Amino acid sequence: MSTGKHTLVKPEDVENLIEIFKQSDWDEMHVQVGDFELFLSNDPHATGPTRAAAAAPAALAPAAAPAAGALAAPVAAKPAPAHGGDAPVADGMLVIRAPNLGTFYRSPKPGSPAYIEVGQVIDADTEVCLIEVMKLFAPVRAGIAGTVREIRAREGQMVEFDQVLIIVEPAD
Amino acid sequence: MAITRVLSVNRGEIAARVVHAAQALGIEAVQAVSVADRDSMAARNADRTVVLGPAQSRLSYLDPKLLVHTALATGCDALHPGYGFLSERATLARLCAEHGITFVGPRAETIAALGDKLEAKAIARAAGVPLVPGTDRINDVAMAQAAAGELGYPVLIKASAGGGGRGMFVARNPEDIAAGFDKASNEAREAFGDDTMYMETFVENARHVEVQVFGDGKGHVVHFGERDCSIQRRYQKVFEESPCAAMPDALRAQLHGSAIALVASLKYQNAGTVEFLYDVNRQAIYFIEVNARIQVEHPVSEQVTGFDLVQLQFRIAAGEPLLLTQAQIPVRGHAIECRLNAEDPYQDFRPSPGRITHWGPPRGAGVRVDSHCYDGYLVPPFYDSMIGKLIATAATREACVERLADALDRAEIGGLTTNLPLLRYIARHPDFIHNDLNTRWLENTGLPAFSAHQE
Repeated sequence: MSTGKHTLVKPEDVENLIEIFKQSDWDEMHVQVGDFELFLSNDPHATGPTRAAAAAPAALAPAAAPAAGALAAPVAAKPAPAHGGDAPVADGMLVIRAPNLGTFYRSPKPGSPAYIEVGQVIDADTEVCLIEVMKLFAPVRAGIAGTVREIRAREGQMVEFDQVLIIVEPAD
Repeated sequence: MAITRVLSVNRGEIAARVVHAAQALGIEAVQAVSVADRDSMAARNADRTVVLGPAQSRLSYLDPKLLVHTALATGCDALHPGYGFLSERATLARLCAEHGITFVGPRAETIAALGDKLEAKAIARAAGVPLVPGTDRINDVAMAQAAAGELGYPVLIKASAGGGGRGMFVARNPEDIAAGFDKASNEAREAFGDDTMYMETFVENARHVEVQVFGDGKGHVVHFGERDCSIQRRYQKVFEESPCAAMPDALRAQLHGSAIALVASLKYQNAGTVEFLYDVNRQAIYFIEVNARIQVEHPVSEQVTGFDLVQLQFRIAAGEPLLLTQAQIPVRGHAIECRLNAEDPYQDFRPSPGRITHWGPPRGAGVRVDSHCYDGYLVPPFYDSMIGKLIATAATREACVERLADALDRAEIGGLTTNLPLLRYIARHPDFIHNDLNTRWLENTGLPAFSAHQE
């Protein structure tokens, strides 16, 4: 696809993209080609692409949602970084890590509110996300108390064991 | 259905072997690891590595759903199970099939049928393969004593779902049965979740021989000769060789024919090994079981036939036809493998994990080392202790034994305790040199002599 300034995205391309999205079980789809941008979501409250995604470590990007296996991006360049190449975490911050490999979800079910939002105060028992393995959804508890500063894992994406999911500023 | 990207879900040397074989065929390799294997050879060589979970196998290598989820999430279209772990668990093969992932191995139903030892014996019997005289299910001590009276002592009492010697014992008289039966059936229930027991005639002078087979899944099967794996400790093989030099050609032909008949009857797909007990006194062979996977000792068969069996696994799994005829697989020369383990042969084979400060495998013509180790590699304490396999190949068994002994002398492994002293001792033992062995040689003769030799 062209990435130049004068992109040639035709109406039928958009129709095709919408069709692909409908037939998938993806939660959202964000396509950017030059100055053309398309955002599709099953979430009626969605306002646009999750910007947290852009901040996700680059090495995580190739992972596709399980249902989209056939469309997965090429494998990452080697050597493979340990647990997905976490970006550094600021001093004094705590992290919540993935208990196993699986797919990361922020809310208990599609369309329902997220477990937590940035800025929210949590305690050790707060459920913060779901990790899914073959349709088995396991809630993850914070294990630590504080204020959520960043949600680093991306909705619907594969996370590896021990990967940083959420960054929390400890309570005093 | 070509394979473009495979998930390798095992560890150790076989994972490194699988990654290498895939890449040689132009298949991208994704290596799934536990956190303890992040720095393993397979992880380093793979095109991508993903961390499944913590070190415990149960939470990583032994979770079929986690493995299939990983295959899907990383865009793999195939999964290679290696050996051990879930390689012979029909659940994994079935789950792969259900999700459009090509399982590099036999069909799930074949694995399930062969995994049940009583069913496997029924399949063998139907294919005309000779079996050790034995019984069906044995429920209790009284039934076992009556059956043993008919078979004649000594008898071997085994768990139907068993393996690795667990839930198994030899009884030489009715008292032995009374003393051992309940313990063995409890052990079987603990280890396998199934306490079904059965009984066989116990063969006093036995060799373990096995036939490497491959099938295309449509009924065409070929073999890659046999292996003699008689040097064992607690049912774990230590030395393996091909061919079985002690076997007369007429019996060898019957051995191969039996193996082929059995797997052909299943329309067997991919690699497998048909194991037999070779009753040296009676010059007879008896079917033991089929291992529906690639085995640790496959390299000796590769060495004497010239085929890369792991690559062949991928080709068959990808749906390529098996065009080989039996005449195209001649066995030439002799190969012997021995297993290098991080364990202390002077301390009852206690595992000795740790950091390898120097990894200096022997090199040279006719010497092959399959290993995942390197300078600075940490052998983790969570898994089996095998750190590599040394394989010697030569024109004759005599020359091969000499080459193996020489290669073992030149092996240098620093930083941890290994079984190298025992391997060296066996390789120079007259019984090994003269091939005067059976499955109890190591425990009854080799190990006591080794211990005495050190004093």
